[in-house]
Amino acid sequence: MSSMDFFTAMEVSASGLSAERTRMNIAASNLANAQTTQTAAGGPYRRRDVTLASVDVPGTRNTQFAQAVRGVAVSQISQDATPPRLEYDPGHPQANAQGYVAYPNINPVEEMVDMITASRAYEAGVTSMTTATNMAERALGIGR
Amino acid sequence: MNIAPIISPELLGATRAGASEKPAGKVDLADSFAKALQDAHGAEHTATDSAERFAKGDSGMGIHEVMIASEKANLAIRYMTTAKNKALEAYRELMNTQV
Repeated sequence: MSSMDFFTAMEVSASGLSAERTRMNIAASNLANAQTTQTAAGGPYRRRDVTLASVDVPGTRNTQFAQAVRGVAVSQISQDATPPRLEYDPGHPQANAQGYVAYPNINPVEEMVDMITASRAYEAGVTSMTTATNMAERALGIGR
Repeated sequence: MNIAPIISPELLGATRAGASEKPAGKVDLADSFAKALQDAHGAEHTATDSAERFAKGDSGMGIHEVMIASEKANLAIRYMTTAKNKALEAYRELMNTQV
């Protein structure tokens, strides 16, 4: 297939869908662990953040379009450095000497916003892919 | 995508001279057809493979990857079939020429 047919648009949308899926997974992980006080690394769960980077689209490498048409990929998943939220609960097994328990630095409202953003971006990706598919189908119908 | 004209004079000349002697830089209809067939086969193989990996619970294989692979296979096969139909139509048209 040549580098600039509809498959390229599909590849780009596919990379976006994968990135948004990862963002959704991270938001779900943050929400699920909003009250987690114990982790393997010690201390409370720390909020995860996704960094997106533009990448080459498979099949366009070394063509004049490689710099123009870019896919997206998750380049790294970082941990939020914001300090944990301290809550006074002396009876808690994870309480420190002063009776404070360190809870994750997660704001559920923020995570909901992230989740909705990911969901809308996913929808947009599906729409652009559907449009590319429809265009390809129209092209196949030429002369019929 | 470059589709060679079916009734180009060069192609007719090449057919007369012998199919093995292709003019340099020209795409034979059979070649482009074979490539389309190969593409369709590859896309279909990828679609089957990703569906299988998804069914086996491969965490790297999402629903959208499976759907996209099968959509690509669908398009590639439809393109191949359309190209075949057009070529056959042209061939029949030529064969029905009154002399």
